[in-house]
Amino acid sequence: MPKQTFKTRLEIAKNKISKKNLYNNKKPSSSIGTAFKMSTELVSAVAVGTIIGFILDKTFGTKPWLILIFFFVGVVAGIMNVIKSAKNMQK
Amino acid sequence: MATNPMHQFEVYRIGPEIKLGAIDISFTNASLFMVISSFAILLVFNLGSKKNSVIPNKMQLLAELSYTFVSKMISDTAGSKAKPYFSFIFSIFMFVLFCNMFGMIPYTFTVTSHIIVTFMLAAFIFIGVTIIGFIKHGLGYLKLFVPSGVPVVLLPLIVVIEIISYLSRPISLSVRLFANMMAGHTMMKVFGGFVISLGIIGGWLPLSFSVALTGLEILVAFLQAYVFAILTCIYLNDALNLHH
Repeated sequence: MPKQTFKTRLEIAKNKISKKNLYNNKKPSSSIGTAFKMSTELVSAVAVGTIIGFILDKTFGTKPWLILIFFFVGVVAGIMNVIKSAKNMQK
Repeated sequence: MATNPMHQFEVYRIGPEIKLGAIDISFTNASLFMVISSFAILLVFNLGSKKNSVIPNKMQLLAELSYTFVSKMISDTAGSKAKPYFSFIFSIFMFVLFCNMFGMIPYTFTVTSHIIVTFMLAAFIFIGVTIIGFIKHGLGYLKLFVPSGVPVVLLPLIVVIEIISYLSRPISLSVRLFANMMAGHTMMKVFGGFVISLGIIGGWLPLSFSVALTGLEILVAFLQAYVFAILTCIYLNDALNLHH
C-alpha cells in the first residue's frame, strides 16, 4: 500500500472518531437518566427541608409551625434544584 | 417465599455473630458481595496492566478503556484542577459499576439496592467534597450559599434555600442509585413470577418482557454508575471552582 493513501485513510479515521466524540458529548446520558435525576432532586430537597423543620420543632417546642415553613422552603429549594440542573443540561 | 419479589433483598448473616459493643458487625451476604466486587476490580486491573503490549489483549483493553472513559469524564465536567482526585472518582465508579453488574447475575445479591450502602457512599463523597471546598477556599467557600445579585431583603430566605439544596445532594445521589436498582430488580422478579403462574400457554409474553427488562437493567446498571460518578465530578467542580 502506498504511503499517501495510508495517511489519508488515517485522517479519515481520525475525523470519524472526533465526529463520534462530538456526538457523544452532546448526549452524555439517556433521557431516562435525566428524568430520574430531576425527580430525585425535587423530592430530596423537600425531604431535607421537612427533616430540618422537624428537628427544629423538637428543639424549640414550636410544634406545627417550623415544619410547615421548612416544608415549603424545601419545595422552593427543590424547584430551584431542578431549574439549576436543567440550565446545566442546556449548556 | 421464592415468589416474593422482595425476598432477594434480604440480608442474612454468614458465619458467626460478631458484636462490637451494641453494634452488630457480622459478615453478611452484602459484605460478601462487596468483597467479591472489590476483588474482581483488582483482578481485572492486575491482569489488564500486567503486560503492557502495544496491541492490547481483551483485559488490557478493558482496563485502558475504563481509564480513558473516567479520565475524559473528569476533564469534561470538572476541568484540569480535578486531576488529583482521579483515583477517588475512578474507584467510586468501578465499585458502583461492579456491584450493579454482579447484581445482574442470577442468585446474587445487589449491594447497591440497599439505601444504607448508597447513602454511605454519598455521605462520604459529600463530606469529602465539603472538606476539599473549605481547604481550597477557606471561609470563602460559604459564598456558595450567597448567589450574587440578590437584594439584601431576600438574602435570609435565599441562604436557607441554598443550604437546603446543598444538604439535599447526598440524599438525591443515594436515593437515585438505590431506587433504580431496587425497582428494576423487583420488576424483573415480578415478571419472572408471572411466567411461572401463567404456565406454558400464557407465560410467553412475560418471558419476553423479562428478556427485554434484563437488557434494560444492564443499561441502567451502567448508567447509574456513570451518573453517580459524573455527579461526584460536578460536586467536586463546585468545590474547586467557585463561580457564584
